[in-house]
Amino acid sequence: MPQIASDAKRPRVAVLANVYKTHLHTQHIIDRVLEGYDWGGVFRHPALDVVSIYVEQRGEGDLVPERAERHPAMKVCASVADALTLGTGKLAVDGVIYIGEQGDYPTNEKGQTLYPRYQFYKQVIEVFRSSGRSVPVYTDKHFSWNWAWAKEMYDDSRKLGFPLMGGSSLPVTWRIPQVEMPQDAVVTEAMCVAFGSLDSYDIHALETLQCMVERRKGGETGVEWVQAYRGDNFWKAHEEGVWSPALFKAALCRSHTLGQCRESFTDVYPTAQEIKALVKTPMAYHFKYKDGLRGTIMLMNGLVEDFNFAATIQGQEKPFSLMMYLSRGRELATLESYFDPIVYYIEQMMYTHKEPYPPERVLLATGLLCAGVDSLFQGEQRLQTPQLAIQYQPAASTLRRT
Amino acid sequence: MLTRRRFLGYSALTPAVLAYRPLLSMGQTPAKGRIRIAVLGTSYHYGSAMQTIADRFLVGYPHEGEWHMPDVQIVSMYLDARPHGGEGVHGVVRSVPQDAGDLSVGRAKEFGFRACNNIPEALRCGGTKLAVDAVLCVVEQGNYPRNHKDQILYPRYDFFQQCVQVFEEEGLSVPYFNHESLSFSFPEAKSMVAASERLKFGLLAGSSLPVTWRIPDVDIPLGARIEEAVMVGVGPLDGMDFDALEAMQCMLERRAGGETGVKAVQLLEGDDVWAGGESGRWSKELLSSALSRSDAIQGLTVTDGRPQDMVAGGVLPQLVKNPLAYCIEYQDGTRATMLMLNGANEDFVFSARVAGHGLVATQFFHSPPPNVTYSACLAAKIEELFCKGTAPYPARRTMLVSGMMEACLNSRSRLNQRLETPHLDVHYKPSADSQYARA
Repeated sequence: MPQIASDAKRPRVAVLANVYKTHLHTQHIIDRVLEGYDWGGVFRHPALDVVSIYVEQRGEGDLVPERAERHPAMKVCASVADALTLGTGKLAVDGVIYIGEQGDYPTNEKGQTLYPRYQFYKQVIEVFRSSGRSVPVYTDKHFSWNWAWAKEMYDDSRKLGFPLMGGSSLPVTWRIPQVEMPQDAVVTEAMCVAFGSLDSYDIHALETLQCMVERRKGGETGVEWVQAYRGDNFWKAHEEGVWSPALFKAALCRSHTLGQCRESFTDVYPTAQEIKALVKTPMAYHFKYKDGLRGTIMLMNGLVEDFNFAATIQGQEKPFSLMMYLSRGRELATLESYFDPIVYYIEQMMYTHKEPYPPERVLLATGLLCAGVDSLFQGEQRLQTPQLAIQYQPAASTLRRT
Repeated sequence: MLTRRRFLGYSALTPAVLAYRPLLSMGQTPAKGRIRIAVLGTSYHYGSAMQTIADRFLVGYPHEGEWHMPDVQIVSMYLDARPHGGEGVHGVVRSVPQDAGDLSVGRAKEFGFRACNNIPEALRCGGTKLAVDAVLCVVEQGNYPRNHKDQILYPRYDFFQQCVQVFEEEGLSVPYFNHESLSFSFPEAKSMVAASERLKFGLLAGSSLPVTWRIPDVDIPLGARIEEAVMVGVGPLDGMDFDALEAMQCMLERRAGGETGVKAVQLLEGDDVWAGGESGRWSKELLSSALSRSDAIQGLTVTDGRPQDMVAGGVLPQLVKNPLAYCIEYQDGTRATMLMLNGANEDFVFSARVAGHGLVATQFFHSPPPNVTYSACLAAKIEELFCKGTAPYPARRTMLVSGMMEACLNSRSRLNQRLETPHLDVHYKPSADSQYARA
């Protein structure tokens, strides 16, 4: 990444959010912009000025008043347009950070939470259009729960020509071990064994996998089909070798939170039977890329509480494997350091107007998620995904080293 | 000495009191070629250091992306704090109620090793000759008293001496792993290292922190000039402070010229710790840097999640009731300080200013329970000792840190005076390769 010139004008950014409460994404990200965070072993104060904030859901536990009082330059606004125009009638900020995650929103029949990311984003686009100019936008996690809307959001950014950054923190967090997928590796199968719930942590697992495999020989070619597996179907596929048992074991051997069945033992590799006993409701999205690569992400609550990746690389005897670091386990960590790089890259983008990594990754992961959820909803059928013929080349490595 | 005499009353230290068990039964016969080890320690309870380390040699452990089954077989075990008086253990159900938490009996039955009543028996597996290829010793936890300096009087030296006695009697010695500090007494620690050198057996010692994963994966460049270093630890006195000092030492020993010993130490307490930061006795910049690597900052971060620069924010004196600063002055003029700031953070972090390299700052990953995978990192090093016969990194490190620890507690018991430490004239070369988990 290009470094920030010390004499550059400090970008003024607008913050939009669903909700701003303790230990929610907005708090993790915006607090780092306001208060600072670790980068390179120093407590870094980002050279960004938050000049406005609009939060849709306020009420009990809302941190906006306390933060606004200590950071008086941050004006509390009543709408998306207000936050972007600051009463001038036209775009008056140099960048937008939108955290459309969490908050009290309804779910649909497929189990997706109907976060208003598209609606917020379109209001931003409206200001950009009416002002005749646009600025960089960060939007947290996947673009939308609705594929058509997600695609439109991505297309808007291409049409208007503004840098777009989105997605999960997993691709940029620390890794244990601190290794990167070799550029141009011939990858034949990849897997992420993770935990969490549908339409929530599955996107993190998808992005974990995608940020790795996009570096394979030929770059990203898109996805041909997606199939979800749950419960008995999952175990059947697992036992029949629909996905690689070797990769499954390699991923589990990277976990620091391997579930335990045997009383009085603290770290035993579980037997197949024990794994079944530990995981009450296993779930997987299994997919095939255009170039033949197979991918699988699974949510294995009870077995792990971390994100573990493994891949088969041609010419390598052992699977390539690592864990994406989400702090020390939820009970011990107070500070989710995996948000540090997100804030660093937001800051970089606001200065350089360059996307730190391809938004096509987020678009494809969004599409995989939507297709996976649809497959689950349609009786775990295999769904062809012509809409996911998304091709792109990876950016320079964003493996966190400092 | 009274306490030591009490220790000498334990069966471990009076080898004659209990009859040897019968010779190896079939179930104990080690597979051909496997390294036979004796496990010695104090207690085998769920979550104890012993359980989390020794189990690795029974059920394997995660290592370099695989579940590794060591080519090692535990053939005997002696526990000092195991309840005595029941029937012999191997293959026999105890006829008296046992300590509910003790796992050694169940493990002995399941994995077919001999539970022994004393150390020579464990080393000879009940026979008359040394019958193990290595010794794993985890003397920790258990109910041992503290002395007037607040040192816990773990009988690690005594355990070691029992083994050395067997080695000397037989003219044969085997590699020995000692978990944590060598001894609360530097002369004892020194004599342990001397014995291993005299009898030419590999001695590995210390805690998991020097070998656990680091976040990020950085080391002090070998031979670099360290301008100053700050380590932050958490835990009780004469407990995790040793681990933190050892983590600091595994970084510092890589400096230009290698290890040349410690000239003086001082343990500051209370307001003197903060005054030390103001006067430049330790670097506030480096403390801020080290704490920037913490994932477990306390105070307002717990209350409402915000990140904080704990040093610039001036909140440390309110959060930390009993701060401790272990100030170490090395013979070559290098200065390093280990701060125990219970209340400020709950992890182990480090930062050093290194000439030509800027800040080298990292967190020593104290991975979550129950798996505590950091002990798998240590198990890999122990296995390396057992397989190769030589220690992957010098026991002199642990010896020096044992001495630093004792000297710091001496300083504390002498009104926190700075104490010259000519006895800590310990020289050694670090291993050229980084020894922590990276792959």
